[in-house]
Amino acid sequence: MSVRRIDVRERVMERNDAMARAVRDRLEARGVLALNLVSSPGSGKTLLLERTLRDLGDELQMAVITGDVQTQNDADRIAQWTGDLVQAVVTGGACHLDARQVTDALGAIDLDALHVLFIENVGNLVCPASWDLGETAKVVVFSVTEGEDKPLKYPKMFQQARFVVVNKTDLLPYVPFDVEKAKAFALEVNPELEFFLTSALTGHGLEGWYDFLRARTRGSRPARSEAGRGRARAGRPAAATADR
Amino acid sequence: MHEMSIAMEVCRIAEDHVGLEALPRVREIGLVVGERSGVEPASLLFCLETLLGQPPFRGARPAMETTPGDDLRVSYLEVDDERPSH
Repeated sequence: MSVRRIDVRERVMERNDAMARAVRDRLEARGVLALNLVSSPGSGKTLLLERTLRDLGDELQMAVITGDVQTQNDADRIAQWTGDLVQAVVTGGACHLDARQVTDALGAIDLDALHVLFIENVGNLVCPASWDLGETAKVVVFSVTEGEDKPLKYPKMFQQARFVVVNKTDLLPYVPFDVEKAKAFALEVNPELEFFLTSALTGHGLEGWYDFLRARTRGSRPARSEAGRGRARAGRPAAATADR
Repeated sequence: MHEMSIAMEVCRIAEDHVGLEALPRVREIGLVVGERSGVEPASLLFCLETLLGQPPFRGARPAMETTPGDDLRVSYLEVDDERPSH
């Protein structure tokens, strides 16, 4: 018996990360702000996107890639608010999106006209932290019905993120959530984090989120014209399904 | 939760290095798993044992070394060159 030992030393995530680097290069070259929205299930990612598309649709060209385990319900909800492309990725059981799925979805999006690409990840604070999608930044949507200690329970996700949207602030009078405590826990695991306090339901605090999106896309390309908006709103887009 | 995806990627890396026809002769796959890699070692081990127990593999052993840090890599492969491959 002759056993041969082969040195490999290959990072398990290398192929994903190489694809993510290619995505990032493409997006950066076109000045697209790409935000990877991650959270627990039910934090309000989809509603935040619906409101954002409705309220900023006149100003910014936005596209959405949504990841869902089994349905394309989120994509259907979002598609009601925008004529821009909504790409649904049904992961078929997988708990995260990977860079290959994003690469495939990008093929159907006109990046040259785009200001913002939202990637609505699968609701899960564990696995999506391990997959770089080529985004500009990860945004954790953190609702006040959750425990303030989520950042301590899921440190990797908060370490990977750059922004935190504390959502459902309309419920603060009814729940024992301490915003300052939650922020302190988040900053403990990642001192670089910046926060937005919003209620996607009532619209409270969304102006700050919108100002951020405007500021981060200013000058990347001309603002969206009224004519362009009318045309884009005319038809409801079909959501493509990429099964894995 | 994503350990099966990781395990499948490990199998792909093994195939990349030795080729499909040699996979039945892989005896051991050396892995480095960092404590902050986001991977639960016991779960990854279970997934790997499942995958390595079925074709094209024939019972290769996962050998896992845990380290501090966030490293996650395949460090080596052991292949038996004389075991018949059918």
